[in-house]
Amino acid sequence: MTLSTMLASMGEGMLRTCAIFFLTLIFSMPLGMIVMFLRRSRFRIVREITKIYIAIMRGTPLMLQLLAWYFGPYYLFGMSIRGYRFPAIIIGFAMNYAAYFAEIYRGGIEAIPQGQYEAAEVLGYNSVQTFFKIILPQVIKTILPSVTNEVITLVKDTSLAFTLAYNEMFSLAKQIAASQTSFMPFVIAGIFYFIANYVVAFVMERIEKHYDYYK
Amino acid sequence: MKKLFALSLAAVMALSVLAGCGGKSDSGSTAATTEAAASDAAYVFLDESLGVESYAIGFRVGDEELAQTVSGAVQALVLNGTYDEIGEKYPDIKDYLCLKAEDIDEASLPAEGSGDSSYTFKHGFDLDYPPYSYLQDDGSVGGFDVELCQAVCEYLGWGYEAVPFNWDAKDMELNAGSCDCIWSGFTKEGREDDYTWGITYSNNTQGIMVAADSGIKSLADLAGKSVGVQTATSAYDMLEDSQKELADTFSELKVYETYTVAFNDLKAGAIDAIAIDMTAGAFLIANDAK
Repeated sequence: MTLSTMLASMGEGMLRTCAIFFLTLIFSMPLGMIVMFLRRSRFRIVREITKIYIAIMRGTPLMLQLLAWYFGPYYLFGMSIRGYRFPAIIIGFAMNYAAYFAEIYRGGIEAIPQGQYEAAEVLGYNSVQTFFKIILPQVIKTILPSVTNEVITLVKDTSLAFTLAYNEMFSLAKQIAASQTSFMPFVIAGIFYFIANYVVAFVMERIEKHYDYYK
Repeated sequence: MKKLFALSLAAVMALSVLAGCGGKSDSGSTAATTEAAASDAAYVFLDESLGVESYAIGFRVGDEELAQTVSGAVQALVLNGTYDEIGEKYPDIKDYLCLKAEDIDEASLPAEGSGDSSYTFKHGFDLDYPPYSYLQDDGSVGGFDVELCQAVCEYLGWGYEAVPFNWDAKDMELNAGSCDCIWSGFTKEGREDDYTWGITYSNNTQGIMVAADSGIKSLADLAGKSVGVQTATSAYDMLEDSQKELADTFSELKVYETYTVAFNDLKAGAIDAIAIDMTAGAFLIANDAK
């Protein structure tokens, strides 16, 4: 196998890796926001349930969660799981990352001093305005470095989709390595992850700069 | 106190860097010696094997009819020569193929094209297992098992669907109906009751692969050596079970996720031998010599 065919077949896997990456971000970031609100809910029962959800999502390996999301419908309800592979992967990733994002958001929100709320009230902001105009912009500023961490982890975690036999880039690398008895695919995979994460870090840095308006 | 701690930490790091360099130059020199040997068949199998086992097709428990139809079609392919023809393409497997035309009773076999043409047979396999099932040079799915299964479907008039899965999840995939069979160098021994078994098409031998110049000639020579094996393989099961006594004589049994890494460790001289399915091992050796 020449390097170019190797790159060609891995290129297809890279597209699949990117698909997992972007879909997971698109779903998990807003979902994390919802989870965070539930976690901070006024009702104790909602808070407790959300805590359990976060504990499970963070406390068990993502690999097991993927297996549960994909095979669960069959083993629990006897449903056919044909064509459900990719959706299961996205659900698994999004639900897992939402738990982490929720806690990052919560950390950001709880770091805002009470005085900000009081000042907003004095100035006549209602609670929705307070949140979106005053609290949220400050929260985004504080949480950006942690979010970057999480996003970079996600790039590398996409390889776990292999658990559900989804041929993303790293599982292709493994297969090619086995059939060619060569480490080259792993080198290519490593370079790909590095470049992808470099881009993530670069973009996040730009966003951080954008929010850096008080300095 | 803090300074002392930082100082000692720095010292430890410096030491580990030095040790790392030492290790590197070591492995460099062994790599050089194995490379020198590579010119004349660098890796060989010991004459003694760990044991023989049958590769067969596993179906869901209770799928008797499907198992019979597929097994019948395989036998029909033995009679019409397709089985041997595919075998010719995989020289590493050829010697282990165990179906012979003279043992087959033609009367009981399904006729060509007798299958339901609207049915698609879902072939579950591991894409990480050359030469039975693997990703070929052009990026397509291939291997002995894949070609034989495709030939079976063609013979019966079925559609063929490749379902490459993660080997650790094979039972879930099968039971959930993502695939209709496990057919990927799948060992029958020890799993007799877990599946409805189709025909045994290959008698596979588990052997020990060593560097030709290692001086290891028999299983007894492995005492005190470090031996590598891939997790969840038959070779591993044998070393944990029927060959446990042998495994206890090793200085270390190193368990790898894939043989690719184990083989590189052998090349680098980090381990002395690999316990492996002989067809898969022959594939590694042949590929390495290229």
